Amino acid sequence: MFKYYLRLALRRCRQNVLMVALLVLTMAIGIASTMTAMTIFGALAGAPLQGISPHLYVATMDAREALDKDDPDYGQPDSLLKFSDAKALVDARHAMQQVAVAVSLTQFGRPDGKQSEQAYGLMAYGPVLQTLGVSLRYGRPWTEAEQAADAPVVVIDTEVAEKLFGTDNAVGRSVTLGRRSFRVIGVSVPWSTRVRMFDVQKNQGAVLGEKEMFFVPAQAALDAGVGPLLAGECGKDAPVASFQSAAVAQCRWIETWVRLDTPVAVAAYDRFLDGYANVQHDAGRFVYAPQAKLVGTQAWLTLNHVVPDDVHLNLMLAGGFLLLCLVNVAGLLAARFLRRQGDVAIRRALGASKRAVFLQHLVETGVLGLIGGVLALPLNWLGLWIVRMQPVSYAAAAKFSPGVFGALFVLSLAVGLLVGILPEWRVCRLPPALQIKLG
Amino acid sequence: MRHIVKPLLRHRMMPLLVLLQVALACAIACNALFLLQQKLVPILTPDGVGQPQQLIVAWNIVPRGKPWPVGTLRQTVSELRAIPGVTAASLAGSWPMETMAQMTGTVVADGKSAKASAVIYIGDHLRDTLDLKLVDGRDFSPTEDGVVLKGMGIDTDGPTIITRALAKHLFPDGHALGKVIRIGDEADAARRTVVGVVAHLMRNKFGQDNRADIDYSMLFPGAPSNWPVPMFGVRVRAVAEVAGVLKAVKATVQRELGPNMIQGIDPAYETYGDMRKRMLAQPKAAVWLLSGVSLVVLLVALVGIMGMTGYWVQQRTRQIGIRRALGAKRSDILHEIQVENLLVVGSGILLGMALAYAVNLWLMRHYELSRLPWQYLPLGAVLMLALGQLAVLSPALRAAAVPPVVATRSV
Repeated sequence: MFKYYLRLALRRCRQNVLMVALLVLTMAIGIASTMTAMTIFGALAGAPLQGISPHLYVATMDAREALDKDDPDYGQPDSLLKFSDAKALVDARHAMQQVAVAVSLTQFGRPDGKQSEQAYGLMAYGPVLQTLGVSLRYGRPWTEAEQAADAPVVVIDTEVAEKLFGTDNAVGRSVTLGRRSFRVIGVSVPWSTRVRMFDVQKNQGAVLGEKEMFFVPAQAALDAGVGPLLAGECGKDAPVASFQSAAVAQCRWIETWVRLDTPVAVAAYDRFLDGYANVQHDAGRFVYAPQAKLVGTQAWLTLNHVVPDDVHLNLMLAGGFLLLCLVNVAGLLAARFLRRQGDVAIRRALGASKRAVFLQHLVETGVLGLIGGVLALPLNWLGLWIVRMQPVSYAAAAKFSPGVFGALFVLSLAVGLLVGILPEWRVCRLPPALQIKLG
Repeated sequence: MRHIVKPLLRHRMMPLLVLLQVALACAIACNALFLLQQKLVPILTPDGVGQPQQLIVAWNIVPRGKPWPVGTLRQTVSELRAIPGVTAASLAGSWPMETMAQMTGTVVADGKSAKASAVIYIGDHLRDTLDLKLVDGRDFSPTEDGVVLKGMGIDTDGPTIITRALAKHLFPDGHALGKVIRIGDEADAARRTVVGVVAHLMRNKFGQDNRADIDYSMLFPGAPSNWPVPMFGVRVRAVAEVAGVLKAVKATVQRELGPNMIQGIDPAYETYGDMRKRMLAQPKAAVWLLSGVSLVVLLVALVGIMGMTGYWVQQRTRQIGIRRALGAKRSDILHEIQVENLLVVGSGILLGMALAYAVNLWLMRHYELSRLPWQYLPLGAVLMLALGQLAVLSPALRAAAVPPVVATRSV
C-alpha cells in the first residue's frame, strides 16, 4: 500500500511541476536558513567545555583596594583577584575542585636556543588539568608538593612538543620559559575551550577559544619573569591595564574557578565566598562592599557578551522565517489537495477509508518534505559558506557537521508531515457524496 | 460589504492562513528592517575625517609591563613628524574606528540640564591630523597641544573642540563657543571650555545600539600619560607618498618602542581608509544579509498569498458566474476580490504590528536594542498592503474574466 501511495505521490508531483517546485523551494529555503543559524548557534552557545563547564563557577567580588572615582558603582561582577586572594580561595578547598587561572602569551624555547614558539597557555594555581578536564597523552600533572615548592615544571601540548622536539613525547625534556628552564612533566592533547571562557572581561570581540598550549604553576612562571597576558587594575595611580608583566603583586589578574555539582554545594560556596570577601572588607582591604557572587560559566559568558547578540538575533530571524515558510507551505498544500477533491471523492466512493486517504496524503507530504530536505542541503552549504566569508570573529564556527546533516533530514521530514496535517484533515473530512458533487 | 465578509467567515481556513502569513511576514519584516537601519547608521554617518587614504594609523602598540613614559612617546611622534612627506602627526589615546580603547562618558552643559553620552579623543594636533573641518572657533594652540596630561586628562580642566551635533544638543541656542562642558555629573568634575566646533567626528563605539549620539565627540589637546595602548596618526602630503611613509612610520615605531613591546602581538600599521573599511565590513555584511532576508520574506509572502487566493477564487468560480449572470460587472468582481484581500491582509497587518511590537519589546529586554520607532509600523503596513494587492491582482483578474455562462454549467 505504501508503495502505491508513493507512486501516486510521485505521479502527482509530475502533474504540476511549478507548484511543486514552489512548495519544495519554500520549504528548503526555510529549513536551510534555520539550519545555518542553528549550526552557528550550536557551535557557540553550547557549553565551552562539554560535561565540565556546566559545573564550573567563577568567583566574583568587588576586590578593589583603592577608591575609583570613574566607576564607584561596580556595575558588573568582576572576576579578577589578587594572587593572594585566589590562593586563599583555592587553599580553602570548599569546593570539589578549584583552580586559579590566568591566560599567558609567552615565548617558548629549547634550552639550546634552536627552536622557539609563541604560545598561549594557562598559568594556574591548583589542579588545573583535573578541574578543566584536560587529558594527558604522556606524563602526569604537577603535584601539590611541586606547586608548594614553586618547582619549574610545565605541561605542554603535543603540537608544541612536536614543534620544539620533533616528537610528541617530550616528558623529561627542558624548555625555556622567560629566564628559567622548566622540566616537561606532561604532554597534553591539544585543548581549547569552545568559546572564550577565561579573561573575558576585557575581551576585544574574540569569540572562539584560543588553544591553550601549556599549563604552568603560576608562582614558578612569575619567578621566571613570565606574567599574565593582561593584568587588570594594579592599585592607585597605576595604568588601567598592563600586559605581559610579571610584576603583578599589586594587581588583580587571576580568576578562581570552582567545580560544584549540586545546588546545595553552590549555595554553600556562595555563602563561603561572601564570608571571605566580607572579612577582607571588614579588615579594611576591600574599600567597597564586596558583593561577592558565584557566577556559572554560561551566565558568565552571557554577562560578558562573549557570543555576539547577532548570533541570537539571526537564529530568531531564521526561526521566524521558517515559521512563515511553514504557514506558506501549509496554505499551498491545502490549495493543492482541495483542488483534487474529485480524485479523493472517487477513492472514497470506491471504499477507501478516511484513514487511507489521510495516509495517502501523508505519504505525499512526506515525499515533498524529503525533496525539500535534499534541496536544503546545498542551500545549507551555501549559507555556511556565506557565513564563513563574513568578516565576523566566529566565521570559523560555520562548519558543516554530520550531526547537522541528520538533523536537517529529520527536520525536513517533520516539517513536511507537520504542515500536511491540516490540509489532509480538511480533505478527508468531507463526506464522499458531497465530494463527488463538488467535483 | 456583507457579501464580502460573509464568505470569509464561512470558509475560514484559506483567509486565516493568508492572515497568519501576512502577520508573520509583517512582524519579521518590521524587525529585520529596523535591524538593517541600525546597521546602516555607522556606514552612512560621515565620520568627519578628511582624506582617509592619506592618513596612516599605527595602533595595537602594547608595552610589556609599565606603559612607556610620555617623553619616549613624544620623542617618537616628533620623529614621525620629521619623516619627509608628513604634514601632521598625533600621539593619541584612542582613535576613530578603533574600538580597542574607548573613552566614553556623560558630559553636561555647565549650568544647564542638557546631558549627553559622548566620546572623548585625547591627543596632540588631532584636528590637523584627522583633517577635521572646523566650522566655528579655532584650533588648539601649540601650548595647549604641548600639555602632558595626568592620565587621560579626564579630570583636568582645559579647552575642548566638539562636534556640531554635540554643540547643538548641549547648547540648543546655538552659542557653544566659550561655554563650559563638565565631564561627569559630580560637583568636582573637570570643566572644559569649548574653543572650536568641527563638522563631524564619529564616535568609536558603534554596536547594536546606534542612536543619534553617534556624532557626539570631543577632542582634548595634550599627550596622555600612564596610558597602556598609545596610538599614532600620521597625515601624508600626497597619496603617492603613502607607501613610503608607511614604511618609515613602521621603522620609526619599531626602533623607538619595539624593544619594549609585548611579544606575540604585533602592532598594526594601515591607512585610516583601510581601517574604516575593515571596521565597517561587518555591518556592511549584516546589511546584505538583512536585506536578503527581508526580500525573501516578502517574496515568500507574495507567493503564498498568490497561491492561496488563486485557489480561493477558483473554488468560487460558479458563484462568480452566478453573480455575473445576475448583472454584476467585471469591475465589480475585480473590486470585490481586491477589497476582500484588503480586509484579510489588513487584519493580518494589525496582528503583525502587535506581534512586531511584542517581539521588539522582548528583544529590548534581552539584548542591547532600542525601541522600534513607530514610523516602522505604518511603513510595514503600507508595504504589506501593496504586496497583498500585487499578489491578488492576477487571481482577481482571472475571477473577473469568468463568463456568466459558467453559472449554467455543471450543476
